Amino acid sequence: MHAGHQQPTSHRHVDAPLLRRESIGDSYHVLTFDLPSGKLARPGQFTMVRSDDWGHAPLLPRPMSYLSGGTTPSMLVKVCGEGTLRLGRAEPGDVFSLVGPLGNGWRAHDPTKRQVLVAGGVGIAPLLFLARDLITSGANPVLIYGGRSARDLPLSEDVAELCELEVTTDDGSRGHHGRVTELLSRWLRPGFEVFTCGPDRMMAKVAAMALAANVPCEVSLETPMACGFGVCLGCAVPIQAGGYLYACVDGPCMDASRIAWDRAEPLVQLAGKG
Amino acid sequence: MTSQQVKIGSLELKNPILTASGCFGYGLEFGEFFDVAELGGICTKGLSLEPRVGNPADRICETPAGMLNAIGLANVGVEVFCRDKLPLLRERGITVIANIFATSLDDFIALAERLESEEGIHAIELNVSCPNVSHGGIEFGRDVKLAAQVTASVRRVTRRPLWVKMSPEAGDLVGVARACEDEGADAITAINTIRGMAIDIDKMRPKLANRTGGLSGPAIRPIAVRMVWDLASALKIPVVGIGGITTARDAIEFLLAGATAVQIGTASFRDPSAARRIVDGVREYCEQRSLSVEELVGRARQ
Repeated sequence: MHAGHQQPTSHRHVDAPLLRRESIGDSYHVLTFDLPSGKLARPGQFTMVRSDDWGHAPLLPRPMSYLSGGTTPSMLVKVCGEGTLRLGRAEPGDVFSLVGPLGNGWRAHDPTKRQVLVAGGVGIAPLLFLARDLITSGANPVLIYGGRSARDLPLSEDVAELCELEVTTDDGSRGHHGRVTELLSRWLRPGFEVFTCGPDRMMAKVAAMALAANVPCEVSLETPMACGFGVCLGCAVPIQAGGYLYACVDGPCMDASRIAWDRAEPLVQLAGKG
Repeated sequence: MTSQQVKIGSLELKNPILTASGCFGYGLEFGEFFDVAELGGICTKGLSLEPRVGNPADRICETPAGMLNAIGLANVGVEVFCRDKLPLLRERGITVIANIFATSLDDFIALAERLESEEGIHAIELNVSCPNVSHGGIEFGRDVKLAAQVTASVRRVTRRPLWVKMSPEAGDLVGVARACEDEGADAITAINTIRGMAIDIDKMRPKLANRTGGLSGPAIRPIAVRMVWDLASALKIPVVGIGGITTARDAIEFLLAGATAVQIGTASFRDPSAARRIVDGVREYCEQRSLSVEELVGRARQ
């Protein structure tokens, strides 16, 4: 009679056991689920993750970008609240409710251009997924990856094995001492296109620089959301045309030029938020 | 098989489980999770005469066993609803309660008149209790005279069953509900969200751009159960209970308190199939006890 503990009701809403949890320090965890019957995710899509064991608090599922797809999809969790704390303690065999894949993934890349991926912290997840996809299709992306410190660059080794990587840290503990945007300028030339995910302030700056250089820029938005499929209307994103789009159904990936960044100040990074 | 059917005025529902306005879109978004026609019905997102874009972000935040929202009644407007959504709802055999919202009496009347010519709307629910808009929301529902006036005005232009959704902030909840009953309401829905606030202590400012938002979820359930109990004691017309229902047990609690039907709100965010599971759970409870749903209604009061 309780909600849950029943058969999944659709291929986009399944109960899936955790296959493994790989922890990267205390704050970051890669969760891999066993999902033989689920719908396959594309890079840039997300899923809503929750466990019945959470009871009434935390109440809402957590939106998580896919780090990888297939029948054993994974997500990168940054512990920053009650939900992510629980996700970070999950053990293999624990069963989670996954609603997904949701949202629009990254737009198709332009094979005549080189892709510049700009990641901030946990925003690396959808970009690493994209980088793998790009390389499979014969592209040669470069990834600029920034974090507060060397500890906030999870999965950077995976990126380094995959493609050209430039690293920045706010405290100078690894790579360039400064921001990703300081390394971005030299890539903003004809023949390049940008894909970015990270803190809103970073994405706003990346978007502004790309637009000024007339280089296409696609962002993956991260906002608070309750449902993930266009019903709660919590994830409003102000747009240039006036009014709002919704990160869950109109995004989370969209062209940066559509967004009214000056009205978007409260947008916060979501991958692993809360 | 025990009967799951309930009657709200002239409207027969196949079971007492409805979905709440604002938590179920236009009823079409859940089609891939379950057959929505298996529910007693759905209440649409609040419809206004013109489309509304809603409030700035952030619009929602999680709270202990609940959430705050200040969406600001973003909706496609009544015309787009009638043109794009309603035909599909009709096709799928879904019982539709159109929730309507306006900032003036005239607009409430115009909305009800607009919907009167449409097929496939089974009842009208007046939202006189939205806490998140600057005009015309909660004011109508807090004041006995205004609530009576809006009910009477809409009553004159619709033959459809008319429900009025109460604010828990009406100082005289029973008085407001009675006034609506006297003016011809067929049912009272209780309760809408309760205004609350959360502050981000790192940013040192309210989490919601609107500062306040409506609190929903399990956190408000005991308040809602008490209010349903009070209303069911005072009214002759049915009460539709709502407030934090997450499981079939919660739904049954409201029925026992005197609600004839219930609405599932925030639970649909946590589990898109929550309402469907609750239908099954209530049926199971009834069958174990050989009681019909109608026999459950108000049973805790006997």
